[in-house]
Amino acid sequence: MGVEELERNIIVTSLERLVNWGRKYSIWPLTFGLACCALEFMVAGSASVDMARFGSEVARPSPRQADLMIVAGTLTKKMAPMVKRIYEQMAEPKWVIAFGACACTGGIFRTYNVVQGVDQIIPVDVYVPGCPPRPESFIAALIKIQEKIEKETVRERKLISIP
Amino acid sequence: MTETRKNSILEALKGRLVSAYEFREELTLIVKKEDVRGVLRTLKETFSYDMLTDLCGVDLREPPRFAVVYHLHSMKYGDRIRVKVRVEDGDEVETVSDMWGCADWLEREAYDMFGIRFKGHPDLRRILLTDDFVGYPLRKDFPTEGYDFDRPFEVRLEEEMA
Amino acid sequence: MREYVSVLITLLFAGFIAALIVFLSHFLGERRPGKVKLAPYECGATTIGPTRRRLAIRYYLFAMLFLVFDIEVIFLYPWAVITRNLRLFGFFEMFVFILILFAGYLYVWKKGALEWE
Repeated sequence: MGVEELERNIIVTSLERLVNWGRKYSIWPLTFGLACCALEFMVAGSASVDMARFGSEVARPSPRQADLMIVAGTLTKKMAPMVKRIYEQMAEPKWVIAFGACACTGGIFRTYNVVQGVDQIIPVDVYVPGCPPRPESFIAALIKIQEKIEKETVRERKLISIP
Repeated sequence: MTETRKNSILEALKGRLVSAYEFREELTLIVKKEDVRGVLRTLKETFSYDMLTDLCGVDLREPPRFAVVYHLHSMKYGDRIRVKVRVEDGDEVETVSDMWGCADWLEREAYDMFGIRFKGHPDLRRILLTDDFVGYPLRKDFPTEGYDFDRPFEVRLEEEMA
Repeated sequence: MREYVSVLITLLFAGFIAALIVFLSHFLGERRPGKVKLAPYECGATTIGPTRRRLAIRYYLFAMLFLVFDIEVIFLYPWAVITRNLRLFGFFEMFVFILILFAGYLYVWKKGALEWE
């Protein structure tokens, strides 16, 4: 009997709520600044707009230790395999924010070397438009990710996997 | 640049220039493809233009099609000079990467964007675009979107292909 | 001895909690290995050559030497506490002890084990 076939009784939903509570209030971002939007992300981590109060205390440089990948900036075709590789090297559960117009759709760069949106190669959870978006928009995106995590159920992500 | 320095430069390079002009106190020399290394060596050693600040290609559409532009700067005298050379499509220019180390990557960029080859370059290959890119984007007949804009973009990682 | 039983219980309890957390996440956590996921991390690029380098042996050497002389210092502390009672005999006893270890130190020095490069 797999965990996915469990009915959603009170025990499972309480466990879900506990696990989702833990996950959403301790999201560690992976810094993936590619261009100018990275600076807005840095400001969002600094004192005036503080993302540490939402649980993103440390921005990890390594994908093995991060939950949330924030692609901030223009993605060129030369950089695309690296983005994909780093996304694959992150451990589940993982989420992706496409930050800025270039990461959402390619921005103003309709050219020969720009990938038209980072969702051509990795799945994205939240899109943040703007060129560049204000740091407050980043906090809004973080809160949206938290709302998304809150509604996750056992069917999408297993809570435990008994070998 | 002082008048005496300009005159001494023009005097020293008298037979090797195609033309020279000055615009707003910037001196530009136009040389033939075969004389490029000699002229630049004279400028570097005799007139102490010891810094190459830029090496770029230009697509001018009228034959000879391309121009390679060298911007030199003299740290001792504090002035700048520009050297232009016209190249045909498919021709080779001699490399200056042994005189200035930065010319290595600048020539690779000129090759990557225009297709101008440099004879004697230690490692002439693409630098800004992916290795399997077809075409030279900064030429005037290359469309901005590229040739395969309509096809969806796919990435295949080496570990998965092995 | 009776006072230290509580310390032992605290130690065992802390060890048990740590082991519980590690083993729970090992046995109950989900695992989704993939070829790219298990590849060594090099900021997104592919690795060239072997990814594990041998460490220099001098770190181990220095650690061992430090351990030996640290134990010597540990023996000095209780001696220093009751040195007044031990009088001259105790002083020379400790002097001989340090002399023996000093001979070892001279050997290490002359053999070149203290060179960092």
